[in-house]
Amino acid sequence: MATEVKQPGEHGEIEAALLACAAGDKSALRRIYEAESPRMLGVAQRLLKRRALAEEAVQDAFVLIFRHAGRFDPERGAGLSWIYAILRNRALSILRDEKRTEASDTPIAEETASEEDDPETVMAKLSDASALRACLETLSPQRRGLVLLAFVQGLTHGEIAGRLKLPLGTVKSWIRRSLLSLKECLG
Amino acid sequence: MSPSRDDQLSPPERDALAGEYVLGLLDGAELAAVERRLDTDRDFAASVERWRRHFAALDATAPPITPPADLWSRIEAGLAGLIQPSASASVTAPRPATARTSRFADWWNSLFVWRGAAFAGALATVLLAVGLFGALDRAKRQPLMVAVLLTDSNIAAAVVNTFADGRVEMLPLQSIDVPAGKALEIWTLWDRAVGPRSVGLIDRARSTPLRLDNLPLGRDQLFEITLEPASGSPTGRPTGPIIAKGTTSQRL
Repeated sequence: MATEVKQPGEHGEIEAALLACAAGDKSALRRIYEAESPRMLGVAQRLLKRRALAEEAVQDAFVLIFRHAGRFDPERGAGLSWIYAILRNRALSILRDEKRTEASDTPIAEETASEEDDPETVMAKLSDASALRACLETLSPQRRGLVLLAFVQGLTHGEIAGRLKLPLGTVKSWIRRSLLSLKECLG
Repeated sequence: MSPSRDDQLSPPERDALAGEYVLGLLDGAELAAVERRLDTDRDFAASVERWRRHFAALDATAPPITPPADLWSRIEAGLAGLIQPSASASVTAPRPATARTSRFADWWNSLFVWRGAAFAGALATVLLAVGLFGALDRAKRQPLMVAVLLTDSNIAAAVVNTFADGRVEMLPLQSIDVPAGKALEIWTLWDRAVGPRSVGLIDRARSTPLRLDNLPLGRDQLFEITLEPASGSPTGRPTGPIIAKGTTSQRL
């Protein structure tokens, strides 16, 4: 994939908004919210399956984005990936929290994901233009499925092993090898 | 705990570990180690950023959901710190009742009454202290309940002891790596509907009293230690990796 060349000092809207957040400008956070919250809620919903938890993840993420905006360094990464990293970290930690303390009969991990979150459906929705899609296609459907389950539904090695009835060691080494071939393909 | 991963990584190892992290596969001590590496290892951080950019295409496939109308106001409340359980705001001391009648005023102003009251109070305190000393001393030494906090790899990292007089303490059993700018926050959870509550924040692993003042305390209550920013979790809930956790059991 052609790496985007960015001139130092030239930032997109998200980056500019993050820099304003770092200076304490709440209206900049609101701009990010307007632009990204529906997609963020969608991502959190895929991971957490329950709407109340997904909203909590998005809510916490925005508080964290504002509080930590000063640590965002546009020279080291894109604003959007920084924001989604915060959201995903928060959602995953809520997910692990819920699983750990779960008292209900239907553990969150076993709660049925909607068909839209199925690995092959997600694959089909990936933009044709994305380098990731082309490279995922070089993997066998099963191995591709492991990578997608982990990312899209937030499953751990152990949960993937349980769901696909594979030994844990196999899952770990398949994912590792899939990542390395992806890396080679993506460049 | 896998200190083996803390040293230099070969480029393929680095990229695989960065990929596992971005996929969200890591947990516990492994996650904590990777987050530490992110701050110190530029190549590793760059590899993580590359994975994030590639996998962003997958986040873009999530069907957007319109947030509920009140979500923004909840965020604003969070920014204002309103969500955190605010310490009781009553700082103003209660004012002594103003004397209404002259008889009350006389009594109120009587040195004799107050001397007597002070003396009686002091005497009662001394008697109570003598009587309670033995009981307290016994109660102090014997914990009522104990929770052993285990790491992800089942190493006992700390114990939490609760005592009859309401004291709760945490004693570390392992040194815990705390990166600069971070701290260890201790949480307890007795009811999932309420969520975890912070009961202590320490800069490094050391014995510390836990503040459970008005919180319930019972058997099978969860205690856990997470890695948080030095000033504590900004959200009032655990945000960092779990270092160790365990539940209380009653002493026989």
